Amino acid sequence: MSKARKYFVIARIHVQNAFAYRANVISGLLYYTLFIFVFFSLWQAIYQEGSVNGYTHGQVVWYLIATELVVFGCRTPIVSKINEDVKTGAMAYLLNRPVHYIAYQAAAAVGQILANLCFFGVLAVALGFLFVGPIPNFRWAGIPCMLLSGLLGVALQFSSMVAIGLTAFRLEDNSAVYLIFQKLVFMLDVFLPVEFLPVWLQGIAKALPFSYVAWGPAKLFVDFTWSLFFRIVPMQLLWFSVMTGFALLMYRSGMRNLQMNGG
Amino acid sequence: MNSNAIVAENLTKRYRTRVKAEGLGAGVKALFQPNYREMDAVKGISFTVQKGEMLAFIGPNGAGKSTTIKMLTGILHPTGGAMQVLGYNPVENRRELCAHIGTVFGQRSQLWLHLPPVDSFAMLGAIYGIDDAERRRRVDVLAQRFGLGEFLHTPVRKLSLGQRIRCEIAASLLYEPDILFLDEPTIGLDVVVKQAIRELILEWNREKGMTVFLTSHDPGDVEHICRRAMVIDHGDVVLDQSVQTLKESYLNRKVITVKFFRPQALPAMDGVRMECDDTQAVLTVDTRQRPIGEVMTAVTNAGGVADITVNDPPMEEIITAIFSNREARA
Repeated sequence: MSKARKYFVIARIHVQNAFAYRANVISGLLYYTLFIFVFFSLWQAIYQEGSVNGYTHGQVVWYLIATELVVFGCRTPIVSKINEDVKTGAMAYLLNRPVHYIAYQAAAAVGQILANLCFFGVLAVALGFLFVGPIPNFRWAGIPCMLLSGLLGVALQFSSMVAIGLTAFRLEDNSAVYLIFQKLVFMLDVFLPVEFLPVWLQGIAKALPFSYVAWGPAKLFVDFTWSLFFRIVPMQLLWFSVMTGFALLMYRSGMRNLQMNGG
Repeated sequence: MNSNAIVAENLTKRYRTRVKAEGLGAGVKALFQPNYREMDAVKGISFTVQKGEMLAFIGPNGAGKSTTIKMLTGILHPTGGAMQVLGYNPVENRRELCAHIGTVFGQRSQLWLHLPPVDSFAMLGAIYGIDDAERRRRVDVLAQRFGLGEFLHTPVRKLSLGQRIRCEIAASLLYEPDILFLDEPTIGLDVVVKQAIRELILEWNREKGMTVFLTSHDPGDVEHICRRAMVIDHGDVVLDQSVQTLKESYLNRKVITVKFFRPQALPAMDGVRMECDDTQAVLTVDTRQRPIGEVMTAVTNAGGVADITVNDPPMEEIITAIFSNREARA
């Protein structure tokens, strides 16, 4: 109970903190709106009528709104924070507290992500209705499954960012790793639905973790089917476990080195 | 009942660091065949600290002070030897131990820089399992004692160094630790803030019986806070005696710097070494021979004083004197 309380308080204070920086919130909302508007216009020019690769114009705009919601929702400085803690040795000093470093970061991120999802969620729904109206043939019964997949997408993004941040124990400069991860998520996931990629690349994309951050939940959101759900969620669970395992492995070996050799 | 707060027996720390040779060829070779060098940071030191004791752990840079603190707090694992802090082995029981110890590293913040101190205190309260009502009561007491009221709701990054350090120490006392480890707590602070912090630590020790383990380059910290001093160099304990004895032997000098409006002659005094330079004089006073008050009176009587400051000699000078004394005796 006490353990749960400590992480709950950490998350609560980070939510409060997220609300305190108004300029950050407003600029983020403006950037999100601009981004959606640009791509809405682009897709409008591409779509004359009917559908492309199984997506109608309305679906593809809602897809983009959902993927960007995951990306904007996960906007936390976690990679740079972990990087800084490893490089400056601050991580060693956190050992002096009865709190697990990764669990602390997770609680702090949950707070920020919840706040982000509240801000961007309301805006996302408003923009979707404003630009294209309701999602065609939306399956209301699938909402719990969509939420589960969205949660797993956020969790996968978080565990990947922690794992990337912790590579600072081994790599002098890990910014390239983060950049590649971001670009792959954008190209195989956020910007275009996987179905828009060449067929040979679709198989590869569906086997890699990047697509399961946002493509999975967004695809379920705009075109829910049970068979899709049972294909996407196990892959999300698999990649979340792999990334979490990798992050814990990096953390343990890094901490062992730090405690034996001072970092 | 065990009266020892800390027991260290033959504590050793050996670091292994990678050595990079000069030149491109050596760099490429090091990729496949890296060279390592081993360095003893702490060489088998043994000591005990009683509960409620206030110990100064001093020495030059690189002497092994911080490494020892890091081992005692469980941050670093020793290469050899044994240690117990409050009956816990810091390597095996780090989580249990850290609920009973407080640490202040003057050059590192334990507060969340983007949050106001009140939020940091709330998080620390939750982390250490203090309920909300009790945490609020303790924060009120600490805020009053440390004068934190005016900036309790200001993000830490916007605080001055003195305000931040006061918050750091308050944060360490929030969960009422049995031992407080202080690593350079007054570094960069002005005289008034330093004095306030020293008084607070003394007060806490008197009221709660808290053990204090202090490292500092400021002789004033050692003189005003601690009753026992241990000098360490190259990972070895070279001196372990009461601060009173240290004071009589080494902390018996004060440095007075006087600035005059115009060139001024000062009377010669026994026990005072003077270095005059036009409108400035630096007087090194041996307080065993002449009380500082007498020298101050003589200086002000000379007239035309624009500014006057009194300082302790730097810690490096005191440590050098300790080493010279030891060598002379050897």
